[in-house]
Amino acid sequence: MKDKQFITLGIESSCDETSAAVIGEGRTVLSNVIASQIKVHQVFGGVVPEIASRHHLDNINTVIDNALTEAGISLKDVDLIGVTYGPGLVGALLIGLATAKSLAYALKKPLVGVHHIQGHISANYIEHKELKPPFMALVVSGGHTNIVDVTDYNRYEVLGRTRDDAAGEAFDKVARVLGLGYPGGPLIDEAAKTGNAHAVEFKRVFLEKDSLDFSFSGIKTGVLNHLNTQKLKGETVNVNDIAASFQLAVIEVIVAKAVMAAQRMKKDKIALAGGVAANSLLRKLLKEACDQKGIALHYPSPILCTDNAAMIGCAAYYKYQEGMADDFYLDAYPNLAL
Amino acid sequence: MNILAIETTGAEASVAIINDKGEVFMEASDQKLNHLQNLMPMVDILLEKRGLSIDDVDYIAVSEGPGSFTGIRIGVSSARALAQALVLKTISVPTLKTFLYNVPEYQGILCPIFDARRSQVYGGAYRWSDTGQHTEIVPGGAYDLQELLKLLEAVLKPEMEITFFGDGIHPYKEQIMKWQDISLNNNICVLFAKDDVKLQKASSVAKLALDIYRSGKIKNLYDLKPVYMRKAEAERKLEENAE
Repeated sequence: MKDKQFITLGIESSCDETSAAVIGEGRTVLSNVIASQIKVHQVFGGVVPEIASRHHLDNINTVIDNALTEAGISLKDVDLIGVTYGPGLVGALLIGLATAKSLAYALKKPLVGVHHIQGHISANYIEHKELKPPFMALVVSGGHTNIVDVTDYNRYEVLGRTRDDAAGEAFDKVARVLGLGYPGGPLIDEAAKTGNAHAVEFKRVFLEKDSLDFSFSGIKTGVLNHLNTQKLKGETVNVNDIAASFQLAVIEVIVAKAVMAAQRMKKDKIALAGGVAANSLLRKLLKEACDQKGIALHYPSPILCTDNAAMIGCAAYYKYQEGMADDFYLDAYPNLAL
Repeated sequence: MNILAIETTGAEASVAIINDKGEVFMEASDQKLNHLQNLMPMVDILLEKRGLSIDDVDYIAVSEGPGSFTGIRIGVSSARALAQALVLKTISVPTLKTFLYNVPEYQGILCPIFDARRSQVYGGAYRWSDTGQHTEIVPGGAYDLQELLKLLEAVLKPEMEITFFGDGIHPYKEQIMKWQDISLNNNICVLFAKDDVKLQKASSVAKLALDIYRSGKIKNLYDLKPVYMRKAEAERKLEENAE
């Protein structure tokens, strides 16, 4: 059965998740194995690149074996190998790349390097089988905050990006100062559920009129200043209130800009992607805003929001369909532009 | 029987192939520190020049470290993935010891040192015995340079000769020469390796790999591990703070 399908092996190692996935015909996930290093880095309060690289190397071959076993195939059945080649931590990227290149060379199979953000966007193709470009993509994660005009499977234009911290980065930093721990995204999301989102009206940073760019470093400072003021006054801090207020301030801006971008480019669909796409308030407010404007909202299930290789395999498939294979000189690009 | 050997622990990468007769061929990159990009193309060129294909390879050997952490990882992950795809066993080759094969006729003591920064080196000392066996004088490890020199002092006897190898020569040559003046009996001759044998070479990795293969110490790919000889900086600091 399976040998009739076109099989893509996806590999992802750009940050702290080592992942391998087997994809049939571009959108069918036959397996998606993710070895998370969250626990390893928790004690450091963030991802330590050298430690991440070491763990990627320890895990990657077993992760690939498990992905193949779960899909019920062997390496000989693989038709294409797709791998994240940027952006990300260079030491982490190169484990996936060295592995993918060696596999492709030894198996005599084509190799496709995938942009990590293109991968995140492609997670939506896996979740929503009917979804096709064009649409507006909103990619929000620990490393990225991008509004991307997706005109075709391999045609993208970044309309907005963060000028300082990524949204997820701001979540991590604020979670740290609130003493919530790491990673910040889910912890703030949870704390905010029982907090008053209007307890503190943190400044919403919209930048210049009509700009689709973001800036989240100011709000982080705003939270710090607020905490210091409270401390000086000797007042107790309600962590949940601050988490909720911070979260709302960030998400209101993201939602407003995503909808503005879709309307400006006359797109009737928005696809949400990236780790922060799992945030419950973001999903809720973006859904409300989209409903109001008659825009269809798509987002992947949480497992496809996190860094995973299924999305990389899917993106690789669509690149390969357009003849975009790479040679064995493929390199890692930590600051790769989309 | 062919062993493919990968050397990426230093500034310059190379690959080599050795057969059971001990005939070895090497391909080296002239580009510094671009190992990820160049490694597979280099393997391809090497095999093509020998009229071989990757399917003619029976074992994958890799220089396990110490050296550049990133370099070690490129070598080990590539070796593992090649073994995984081709269903082959691997050979883990201690990098410092490969210098024996850079100078197979040498009678003195070899001391390869790699710059590990913070006044440290990854180093060890070896020599060829009279019967052509490898002898370890100082085990490989991360040492303060002075600590390593003290260990050498303890084993060096009058009339002996010692040659330093590796990229650690450059930052530490002056200190080593000072050590020679102050600490050593003048009968001991301290030398620095010539450029053509000074650094890691895949041909030497291949030769040592053949010895290891003959001794039966082959590994499955999951047991092929990088040998960093040092913890990650963040880990070290965390432990220091805990103390």
